[in-house]
Amino acid sequence: METLVEIHDVRKVYKRDQFEIPVLNGITLGVPRGDFLALMGPSGSGKTTLLNLIAGIDRPTSGRILVDGQEVSSYSETALASWRARHVGFIFQMYNLIPVLNAAENVELPLLLTKLNRKQRKQHVENALAIVGLADRMTHYPRQLSGGQEQRVAIARAIVTDPTILVADEPTGDLDAKNADETLDLLQRLNAEFEKTIVMVTHDPKAAGRAKHALHLDKGVLAEGQYGYEAEPAVVRT
Amino acid sequence: MRFLHLIRGNLFRNKVRSLLTVCLMAAIFFFVTTLLSILATFDNASEASGVDRLAVQSAISLTTMLPYSHEQKIREVPGVAETAKLQWIGAYYKDSRNFFANFAVDADKMKAVWTDYAIDPAQFEAFKADRQGCLVGPELLKRFDWKVGQKIVLKGTIFPFDPQLTIRGVYYHPVNVSSLYFHTEYFREAGLGGQGLTGTVWVRVSDTRKMAAVSQQIDEMFKNSEYPTETFTEKEFQKNFISMMGNIKLLFTSVSVCAIFMVILLAAITMSMSARERVTEIAVLKALGYRPGLVLGLMLVEFVLLTLFGGLAGTLAAKGFYQVFDMARATSGFLAGFRVYWQTVALCLGASALVGIVAGGYPAYRAANLSVVDGLRKVV
Ligand SMILES: Nc1ncnc2c1ncn2[C@@H]1O[C@H](COP(=O)(O)OP(=O)(O)O)[C@@H](O)[C@H]1O
Ligand SMILES: [Mg+2]
Repeated sequence: METLVEIHDVRKVYKRDQFEIPVLNGITLGVPRGDFLALMGPSGSGKTTLLNLIAGIDRPTSGRILVDGQEVSSYSETALASWRARHVGFIFQMYNLIPVLNAAENVELPLLLTKLNRKQRKQHVENALAIVGLADRMTHYPRQLSGGQEQRVAIARAIVTDPTILVADEPTGDLDAKNADETLDLLQRLNAEFEKTIVMVTHDPKAAGRAKHALHLDKGVLAEGQYGYEAEPAVVRT
Repeated sequence: MRFLHLIRGNLFRNKVRSLLTVCLMAAIFFFVTTLLSILATFDNASEASGVDRLAVQSAISLTTMLPYSHEQKIREVPGVAETAKLQWIGAYYKDSRNFFANFAVDADKMKAVWTDYAIDPAQFEAFKADRQGCLVGPELLKRFDWKVGQKIVLKGTIFPFDPQLTIRGVYYHPVNVSSLYFHTEYFREAGLGGQGLTGTVWVRVSDTRKMAAVSQQIDEMFKNSEYPTETFTEKEFQKNFISMMGNIKLLFTSVSVCAIFMVILLAAITMSMSARERVTEIAVLKALGYRPGLVLGLMLVEFVLLTLFGGLAGTLAAKGFYQVFDMARATSGFLAGFRVYWQTVALCLGASALVGIVAGGYPAYRAANLSVVDGLRKVV
């Protein structure tokens, strides 16, 4: 299986005033196409930072990141924006729907950046909402939906452009057990049925258990013997 | 416009705040429209004046008068086509609040000097024939419900003289619509022009290109006399008159600018609040691939729509209001000819759009250039 995401010796250092805060200390990792990877680790270990780098909303201090053969770590701000629009689907802990737009309009947001006309966009939105099981909630506003439903709308928004990779940061962190289960069911289905590559950050072992692989981050490094791209390329390429 | 949902949604996001912003804009622009319309009325008054007329008055002060003999000498100046004496009377009708412009004028030379005034020939003859006759503007006639042929008595203020007049006709002029003119002779007979003094002498020149030369020559002629003169074009004369009245124009302009400045500050505060509240949402949009320019554009369109809508409401309300509310009457004729021009409405719309751009520019720019990561972490 080919590697979709390649991360080579990535470091990330934040500067706050004159302090330098090293967050990622040389991460090397490969994510195969079609994988469902869980990133685990204690709070503050750098999970979100790593996910943001993969998703192209942040850039590493050093090291290279390639997604689908494209070196996104070298892209300019604008190039990254259009790359994200085409290749990345985002799922957040707090769903992050736009409260003044209804479900269909929220899902349509990424499509507004494409060349699709109104009719085509409508078709895509309906498909995406049907996949997450909310075809009957098109005109509902976020405040009229439950947390689980909001997260499913957010997932529809993430998949509506058929992106190369889905990134999810604690997607069940704000949900009760039942809704968390349903969300994970959906992610698993997207991975199995639609062959979506998913990278999910979580600190919940139960959630991580639904992924195909799990990686542990601690203090900015991957735990020993874990799914390292260079350390155990065999795992990566299976 | 594919982003319509988003813009509309954001406009109605906080209905109370949007409504307050719109109301504030409307109130301020009602006020600004009023001030600008008053300025336009002044401007008009001086703009539409005869381009071929000069007004000669005392160089000493506006209230110092000139001897009749000056007029004779002015007539001799080459380039002078016709002259007439004009005296400001400052009388009122019945009640001192009923103030309006009234003058004593050389009736026989009136038509020759003020060629831009239209008067029915029969009425003009009747006026000339009656020493105590007068001509009035159409607005004045309406205001006091006068009829041609009616006898009226004015109450003097500057001069101890209550003119007893008969309305002999109506004059028509595009701007001057509510003045009253009676005979210099009547004024003189009452003993007030007895000393042979007049406030101003008006001159029509034969060639407008030589106005400056004629004006200079007149002032030169009287420079060393007991009554030195200062000659203005009619345009300057009107402006002078206005500047005498406390530099109203400057005052009104600065009040308008202050009002707009104030509304910009208030709008900037609400727009910053509104941008700040949306930090996470904007970060999400940017994560989805919305470029800073697009985010900036969307926010600016929203802000400008908000202020433009308020401005539109205010300025149109003013236009409607002054169609019903008679400003001329309310100001005792001081603002005769007051109206809200479409140009003023357009100016106000432009200004209100500008308020949106200026007030919303910085918050929108900041929001658009916000770091996605910081926005999602809510550290801004
Ligand atoms: N913009 C930033 N500036 C400074 N420090 C930051 C910034 N973003 C994250 N950090 C720090 O980086 C560390 C890792 O953060 P994060 O990637 O969010 O961890 P996790 O998602 O595993 O909890 C934390 O100590 C956090 O305080
Ligand atoms: Mg995190």
